[in-house]
Amino acid sequence: MGDTTPFDEMYNADGSVREPYSALAQWLDEQPDKGLSLMSADAEAIFRRLGITFAVYGSDEGNEKLIPFDVIPRIISAMEWRRLSRGIEQRVRALNAFLYDIYHRQEILRAGRIPEKLILQNSAFCPEMMGLEPAKGVYAHIIGVDIVRTGPDEFYVLEDNLRTPSGVSYMLEDREAMMQLAPDLFQRCKVAPVETYPENLRRTLESVAPHNTSGAPTIAVLTPGIYNSAYFEHSFLADQMGAQLCEGPDLFVDGGRVYMRTTTGPERVDVIYRRIDDDYLDPLTFRSDSMLGVPGLFDAYRSGNVTLVNAPGTGIADDKAVYTYVPEIVEFYLGEKTLLNNVPTHNCVDSDERAWVFDNLQDLVVKEVHGSGGYGMLIGPTSSKALREEFKKRIEARPDNYIVQPTLALSTCPTFVRSGIAPRHVDLRPYVLIGDEVRITPGGLTRVALKKGSLVVNSSQGGGTKDTWVLEE
Amino acid sequence: MPSATSLSITPPEGSTNAVMHLLLTPQSGPTQTVESWSVSTTGIGNAARFSDAFGNTVHLVNQARPEGDWVVSVTGVVNTIDRHGVLGRPSGEPVPAIYKRSTGLTKSPVTMWSKFRGSGESRLDILHGLMARVGEVLGDGNGGQAQSQGVDGQSQSQVSEAVAASAHDLTHSFIGAARALDIPARFVTGYVAASDDNEADFHAWAEAYDDDLGWIGFDCLLQMCPSERHVRLAAGLDAISTQPLRGAPDGDSMTLRKVSVEMVP
Repeated sequence: MGDTTPFDEMYNADGSVREPYSALAQWLDEQPDKGLSLMSADAEAIFRRLGITFAVYGSDEGNEKLIPFDVIPRIISAMEWRRLSRGIEQRVRALNAFLYDIYHRQEILRAGRIPEKLILQNSAFCPEMMGLEPAKGVYAHIIGVDIVRTGPDEFYVLEDNLRTPSGVSYMLEDREAMMQLAPDLFQRCKVAPVETYPENLRRTLESVAPHNTSGAPTIAVLTPGIYNSAYFEHSFLADQMGAQLCEGPDLFVDGGRVYMRTTTGPERVDVIYRRIDDDYLDPLTFRSDSMLGVPGLFDAYRSGNVTLVNAPGTGIADDKAVYTYVPEIVEFYLGEKTLLNNVPTHNCVDSDERAWVFDNLQDLVVKEVHGSGGYGMLIGPTSSKALREEFKKRIEARPDNYIVQPTLALSTCPTFVRSGIAPRHVDLRPYVLIGDEVRITPGGLTRVALKKGSLVVNSSQGGGTKDTWVLEE
Repeated sequence: MPSATSLSITPPEGSTNAVMHLLLTPQSGPTQTVESWSVSTTGIGNAARFSDAFGNTVHLVNQARPEGDWVVSVTGVVNTIDRHGVLGRPSGEPVPAIYKRSTGLTKSPVTMWSKFRGSGESRLDILHGLMARVGEVLGDGNGGQAQSQGVDGQSQSQVSEAVAASAHDLTHSFIGAARALDIPARFVTGYVAASDDNEADFHAWAEAYDDDLGWIGFDCLLQMCPSERHVRLAAGLDAISTQPLRGAPDGDSMTLRKVSVEMVP
């Protein structure tokens, strides 16, 4: 960090092609004029046919938009991936151990390694989870770890998503589209498959079924409904896994067990992959005005008759203020140093630190502790003076609501834009499944900031996606 | 003491799959021994019974197509022992630290607790001082007569306000103040027998944690530590997490009607 020239994942500084990209570079050279334009048009047609859209909250342009797809894949070498996946596995194991501890003895708080207040007074801490024994001791079964790259060997974790991380359907559809668009390129590169994700998801969910499940566990995907921005993904994953897609009213609790209504009568449900936020899961235990949840669901969970994936209360482990303690967490539970670094993060509570932040705001990124989706952020270098002043006021009013990080020179990948092929900034969200074992899908979702110079990759803020290739040896 | 309670809710007409979460089962502990206890209501035979996060015994009862009032009757015999409110450290409970978490209901003004901050007194003395202070500021001065109830046809929240408004308020205030002083404190529901006759009613008090003695009860309305007149039902962060009866679907027509509570010393 500090160096402002972003790392180009395809080209070395001398203009030569980095080894993992050699086959792709050659293939790009061989493409006829307009080849990529035609391919982009084909890609759009494929995605329209697949029906893969997303909703942007607060947008006037109708509800559904097509997420832009870039036809040039991003490539990660086998060696780079080995290193990344080891770091990811370490992180998710430590975070699950942390969750177990926080909802049991709270040893890490007693040891003074994390301030007690930060956890106990945190809105993401769920006291109703105390003492519960989740199947296999796992709380967060599905995690999306946001990673950025700043150099050949420099990777940073931007955030861990342990609530209901979305986007995995884009990873799968991007691969599907790419295989249709450039089958010849797949013959030149040995690409690790991602298509196993739905099968691995099903296995993971089955492995955490309650002990009293008889026969093969029945899995349901619980969605808030068609107006949710990720509804497509919910129905897609249910379909791919051969599981039922349910809304709250499709499920009910009887005798402490959960059933779904089917045309042939009630069917017991053992595992619920819920894509509804904690607050709305069950009006009896959480928000009583929730129309999305299932009354009694949490009690059925506490009774050990159903598994909720992810468990309620996992948000305490991906809270942005807790994030700064992940290196401590890894060391405390695993006795190891973190393999993947955190982005150095400042808080604004300390007045000296706040003064330093205010002096350097033009170089920093400010995030809301509970924000997501790229909303409510300040990106110093591209911000106006007025906006920076506005943020100073907001920080002054609620210093604990913000964290501050340096602006990272995110790596770039060649991207097909209107003017041709040009470098654009990217990040990476690998998806991890944790049940009887840890399963990490090679690659993940690469998000790309399509606007020149932009560092914001969120789809809600004009970002697109790329297929991500992990090369096999 | 033998006791009998009856509560009921009326799910909105036409509702399907009404559920109730009942925190109406006392547990034996240092201050009481449950001789017999029974919770009866439609669907109780099929109910799930489990421990919640705070160590309370919960019944989750459901009815596919409820009609009219859904009545819950509770009867039982509990032997109580006066231990000056000291419960110690019963097993099966979460770490006391979680009871430092403040909730929407447990706010207490600085003026309530500031004089105890940094005082050299023992925690036990601070807690007794706090109970007196809460009584002074919020008490009605009638020597702590539990309010009489018997309110028909009100919504759950109205009833819980009416049933134990002052006990709830005083207890929340005590808890908020204790938590502000970094002392774990929790909300306790139960029954209390009035001193002059056998009438008894739902009641609420606080428990605070002392590193030496463990949990100790403080009844801010009666200005005393719980005695043999108190039967302890459930503990939690506040009145919401310890509600004796919670139902869904919730609606304006949902009522909680208390018919009777009797206690015989």
